[in-house]
Amino acid sequence: MRTLLVILTLGVIGLGAYGINVHKDNQNLQRAVLAQYTDKLTDASEKLSHLQQSVSKSLLFRDEQAIHNELDSVWRLSSEVRSSLSNIPIGQEMSSEWLNYLGRLGDEAKNTAKSGDYQAWREKMPQVSNNLQSLSDEWTAATVDFYKHNGNMDVWLQQADDTKSNTTFTNVQKTLKGYGEKDFPLTLSESDWQKKIELKALQDAVITEKEALERVKTLFPVIQDATFTVAKSSDTAPYPFYHIQFHQGIRLGYVDITEKGGHILSYLVERPVDEAKLSQDEILAMAQEHLKKLDMKDVAFVESRENHQAWHVTFARKHPKDNALIYADGVQLKLAKDTGELLGVNAMEYVQEETIKPQVAKPIDWPTFFDQDVRVEEVKEIYTDNGQFEQRLCYEVIAFRDGDRPETFRVVIDAEHHNVLKVEYLT
Amino acid sequence: MRLFSKNLVLLMALTLCILPQNDVAAFSEQQITRGAYGDDVIELQARLQYLGFYKSKIDGQFGYNTYWAVRNFQEKYGLPIDGVAGAKTKKALAGYSDYDEAWVKAQLKAGHQFTYFGGVPLEQQVKKNTASNNKQAKKDSGSSNQNGTKTQLPPKYSERDLQLIANAVYGESRGEPYEGQVAVAAVILNRLESPDFPNTISGIIFQPLAFTAVADGQIWLEPNQRAKEAVIDAMNGWDPSENALYYFNPKTATSKWIWSRPQIKQIGEHIFCS
Repeated sequence: MRTLLVILTLGVIGLGAYGINVHKDNQNLQRAVLAQYTDKLTDASEKLSHLQQSVSKSLLFRDEQAIHNELDSVWRLSSEVRSSLSNIPIGQEMSSEWLNYLGRLGDEAKNTAKSGDYQAWREKMPQVSNNLQSLSDEWTAATVDFYKHNGNMDVWLQQADDTKSNTTFTNVQKTLKGYGEKDFPLTLSESDWQKKIELKALQDAVITEKEALERVKTLFPVIQDATFTVAKSSDTAPYPFYHIQFHQGIRLGYVDITEKGGHILSYLVERPVDEAKLSQDEILAMAQEHLKKLDMKDVAFVESRENHQAWHVTFARKHPKDNALIYADGVQLKLAKDTGELLGVNAMEYVQEETIKPQVAKPIDWPTFFDQDVRVEEVKEIYTDNGQFEQRLCYEVIAFRDGDRPETFRVVIDAEHHNVLKVEYLT
Repeated sequence: MRLFSKNLVLLMALTLCILPQNDVAAFSEQQITRGAYGDDVIELQARLQYLGFYKSKIDGQFGYNTYWAVRNFQEKYGLPIDGVAGAKTKKALAGYSDYDEAWVKAQLKAGHQFTYFGGVPLEQQVKKNTASNNKQAKKDSGSSNQNGTKTQLPPKYSERDLQLIANAVYGESRGEPYEGQVAVAAVILNRLESPDFPNTISGIIFQPLAFTAVADGQIWLEPNQRAKEAVIDAMNGWDPSENALYYFNPKTATSKWIWSRPQIKQIGEHIFCS
C-alpha cells in the first residue's frame, strides 16, 4: 500500500512537471507568434502612414525624375504594406479589402510611371491621399486593442471574428470598401474581362438536364453506360452550368457543361493507368483525333508535357485572319499514357473566347533588338494578355544564348509597340 | 577543305551504318522530343553528357537544354538536325557513348548531385548527400517519382509550388473525391491571380486564418501521389471549382461571413464560392 502511494505520488509529481513544461512551451510559442504579429502590425501601420505621405509628395512636382521617385516609393510601400497585412490574422474580408486597395494603388503608380500620364495621376490622387489619411487614422484607432493582448492570442481571434457592426474595426472595413470602389473603379478592360470569365457573351439556347446528359454521352462515349449524378450550379453562380458526376467501373469523374448551349467547360476522369505503351507521336496524333471528335477544329498545337501517368497537351485557337495563336483561348487535353484515352478536357478558356481588336505587326530587326551573343531560333505571332486585360498581337521569340551553360528564353514582344511583355527562362 | 568535310560526313554516315545493333536496344524504340519524360530521356541526357553535348542536370525531362544538345550532336555526326531523338539519332548515340543505367538511376534515387561525363571516373562526378542534409534532399525531391525523375510543370510553376500546394490539398481535402482535390488546388491558383490575395503561393497558403490545415498542422502531413496529381491537373488549367476563391465545409465552418459569399457548386463536403 505504501509502495503504491509512493508510486502514485511520484506519478502525480511527474505528470505535474510535464504539464508545467508543456504549458511553458505553449506560452513561449504563443508569445513568439504574438511578437511576430505585433511586429507585422506595427510595420503595416507605420508604412501606411509613409505611403500616404508618398502619395502626397508625388503631387508636389512637375519634374519627371522627382515624380518617378515618389511613384516608385508608392509602388514599393504599397507592396510592403500588403505583405505585412497578409501576415496578420485580421479576417478574410478585411484582409481582401486591404490587399485589393493597396494593390490597385501600387498598380496605378507603376502604370503611371510607365505611361507618363502624370495629369491623370494628379487629378485622381488628392482624393486618394485624403482617403488614405483617414484610413490610416481609423486603422490606428481600431488596432489599439491589439497591443493590449497581454500575451493572449484570443484578443486577435475575437477581433478577426467580430462581425458586430459599429466597432472601430468593422468601420475600417466599410470605409475601405467604399474608398476602393470610388478611388479605383474597374477599368473598361477589367470590366470586359469580368464579363468574359462570367461567360456573359454566351447567347445560345438553354438546354435541359436531359439534353446535357445526352451531349456528354455523345462526346465521351467511353462513359455512356456510367452511373450519372447531375446537379445544377448554385443560383448565385456567375453562369449556370450542369455539374455531372459519373462512375463506371474503374472510372470516376465529372463534366461541367454550360446550361446555355451545352458547351463543355471541363471533363476529368480518374482511373488507374498502366505502363506507357504509346510513343509521343502516337499520343499527339490521338490528341488531334480527340479534338476533332469534340468539334474543336480551329485550334493548333502549342505544347505537350509528359508525366508518369498522363500527357497534358495544350492547343490554342487560331485567329481566323492571320492564323496567330490566341493563347487566352486555350484547350488542354489529358491523355492516359497506356492507351491514349482522353482523361480530361479543359475548355473553359476556349468557351470564353476573346474579342480581338485589329492590330498591326511592325517588323523588328532582331540583331539590334537582342544582345550579340543571343541567337533567335524561332519567331511566331501570337495574341496574349498585356497585363492590363487587353489581348495584344505579339512576337513570341525563342532566344538562345550560348556559353558554358546554354540558356533558352521565351520572349513575348508587342508586335506594334515593340515593348517586352514577358520573358520566361526555359530549361 | 570542302572535299575533306564531305569525306568526313561520308565517313561518319558510314560509321553509323556499321554500328552494332544491340546498342540501339539500350533505348526504347520510341521517338522522343520536347515534352517527353522518363527513363528514355534519362538515358538520352546521360549519353549526351558522356559525349559532352549536354551540360545541365540529368533529370529525365526533355526540355530545351536537351533539345539543343540533341541538335548539336546531330550536327556534329552528320544527322538531320531536328532536335528529335529518333531511331537514327539513338543508334548513333548508343554507338558512340556508354551508359551505366544502374549507377545513374541510383544517383537519381538517392537525390545526389552528379554528372556523367565520359573519361572521368564516376566516383569523382558525384556529390553525395551527408546524413544531415539527406532528409532535406528527400523533402526537396518530394515531387519526384520513384526513379527520381522530377515532374514536368507549366513554366510559371516550380517544384516548390507543387510541393506546397500538394501539402495544402492533402491536409485540407484528402478524404474528398479527386475532383474536389483538384478544385482545392484550383482555388489556391485562382487566389494567385486575384488582387485580393497575396501574390505568392506560400503567402496565400500561410496567410493567417486562410486554411484550416495550416492552423491544425495537417499541412505538414506527407501528401500522397493522388494529391500531387490533382495539383498537376490544376496547374495545367483544370478548375472544377469554376473560378472559386473560397470554399468551406458547411458542417464545420464557424465563420458567418463565409456564408455570405456567392456559392457556385458543391463537391463532396466542400461548397465552393466566389
